Amino acid sequence: MVLECRGLSRDLGTTVLTRVLSNVSLCVHEREFVSVTGASGSGKSTLLYLLGALDRPTEGSVLVDGHDASAEDDEGRAVLRSEKLGFVFQFHFLLPEFTVLENVMLPMLRRGRRSSESARDHAREVIAAMGLGELEKRRPNQLSGGQQQRVSIARAVANDPRIILADEPTGNLDSKNGEIVMAVFESLVREQGITVVMVTHERDFAALASRQLVMHDGEIVEDRDQRA
Amino acid sequence: MSRVVLFIALRQLWDRKLLNGIAVLGVMLGVIVLIAINGIMQGFQTKFLDNILKISPHVTIFDKQLRPAAPLLARYADDFVTARVSHESPSDRQLRISRPNEIVRALERLPNVAAASALLNGSAVIALGSKQYPVDLRGIEPLTQDRVTPISQYVKVGAYRPLANGEGILLGNGVATRIGAKVDDILTVGSPLGVSKSLKVIGIFDSGIPPVDASRVYVSLHDAQTILGKPDVVGRIEVKLIDTDRAMGMAEQVERMFGYDAESWQETNANFLALFRQQNTIIGFVVGAILMVGGFGILAIQIMIVLQKTRDIAILRSVGFHRRDILVAFLLQGFLISLIGGLLGDGIGHWVLVALGRLKTKQEGLVKSEYFLVYDDPRFYFYGLAFAMAVGLVASFIPAWRGSRVEPVDVLRGQLG
Repeated sequence: MVLECRGLSRDLGTTVLTRVLSNVSLCVHEREFVSVTGASGSGKSTLLYLLGALDRPTEGSVLVDGHDASAEDDEGRAVLRSEKLGFVFQFHFLLPEFTVLENVMLPMLRRGRRSSESARDHAREVIAAMGLGELEKRRPNQLSGGQQQRVSIARAVANDPRIILADEPTGNLDSKNGEIVMAVFESLVREQGITVVMVTHERDFAALASRQLVMHDGEIVEDRDQRA
Repeated sequence: MSRVVLFIALRQLWDRKLLNGIAVLGVMLGVIVLIAINGIMQGFQTKFLDNILKISPHVTIFDKQLRPAAPLLARYADDFVTARVSHESPSDRQLRISRPNEIVRALERLPNVAAASALLNGSAVIALGSKQYPVDLRGIEPLTQDRVTPISQYVKVGAYRPLANGEGILLGNGVATRIGAKVDDILTVGSPLGVSKSLKVIGIFDSGIPPVDASRVYVSLHDAQTILGKPDVVGRIEVKLIDTDRAMGMAEQVERMFGYDAESWQETNANFLALFRQQNTIIGFVVGAILMVGGFGILAIQIMIVLQKTRDIAILRSVGFHRRDILVAFLLQGFLISLIGGLLGDGIGHWVLVALGRLKTKQEGLVKSEYFLVYDDPRFYFYGLAFAMAVGLVASFIPAWRGSRVEPVDVLRGQLG
């Protein structure tokens, strides 16, 4: 079990509290490719941020590779994100001042497990594997949307995470680029044994996942495991 | 601090060259102003004090000033007195120092005393033809006096030596100009209580302090006693010290030893020193305000950058950067802006001082100089840099703190950025 949550609830709002997520429990196993779908406002992104130790739950707990993220302070969660998790967001979210290569290297440099030479070599490998080898010197604004999204996947992958959390990764892409991104995820799960949890509203892409969750009003209403 | 944070700070700084350049310029201008204004002020003040310390004694000993005597009747009746003696004759006690030679010898044996000399001074009028001019007459023992206040160094025309033989009169150049006297002219010198004397102008001195040069004349002690009508009287003893900063203490010590009043050069020039202190305070405020403005420049620009960068901060935080990393990254930028601004300011400030020092100006007021007076003190550069860095760090702390408080989820949910 690589990712687990128990009785997870989250209230949002300042004056009037709305329960966005109520009492969600979930176990994600290694090498699973999980998709989460649901109408907007169903709480799927909130769930993803909680699983990714970016947010703290109102109630319940999150275990990332056995570590209780909800018990950690801000620092501890940053360490957890650095060592266990990789994120891919809807908008590419690359740092504009840095080249493609540097964007991919930064999380590795922060984690500090590799020397800067080794981080550079590894980043090059990952970028090349995404088919972007010739673009490593470019700045993000010189790339197409699909290329940018692949760079952000490369950034997530390069730091050797156990889990990649993706929030609408194809939401901003045309269908051809969307398919490329999905193919990348599938190969990550299959070849590198990385667990992927992907929030999406595109049913076609969700159907490619090995396990499909559907959320409604802050609860998981459907949990289909295709391998079972 | 990890190297990657420095790397991020440097890249972000470089990527906003224009904005950060403006912040650097603000700091730089502040430092230049600090150096230039301090250089000019100190230039004037040190020149003035240098001159004062050369031409004036460091400690002056004189007889206790007498307060006006109490009315005659009050001396005998402690009670309230209604009667009054009219035309009471004033006290005829003369201000004098008795046994001056012994005091001079005793003084010269004290540590920290370089030289001491007895003299008599008073008001006199000099006349050349029909022209008259009131002067501050100083009767000196030329050889010893020259060791206390090296007047001979300032003699521009004529010579100082003849004074040692008890001949002639030495004029300040302001006095000479006003009365139109040249060397070898014969002047009449007189005062209300004494005897007028005809003296030959043996030299003209220029001390560099216009108020002194426009009022002072030197004659031999004996001549002064005759002219002022005070035979055998020595009015004061002037002392030159080795360590001028200890003049106040020396004055007190001398007062206790000899029972006469003693005044240090700081007390003599208290007006000027107080004025200088006030000037320096005002300048401190002005320079501080200018540096603060530079600090506000950093503050405004960095707050803008932090607001624009909330999305990037959220990215960094989500890939594992800590709050502290964000704080340090922005503080580093503020630090580097003020460091670069401070160093540039130091460099250009030095150049400005050098350029000002070459500027020809005719200055005549408290001090006389042909060039713009500038004092170049390494401490200015240190202060400039230190102030700049302090202001920069304080100014960038607020934006850096704000940046470090950005919650990545808020940005991701679209509430920010």
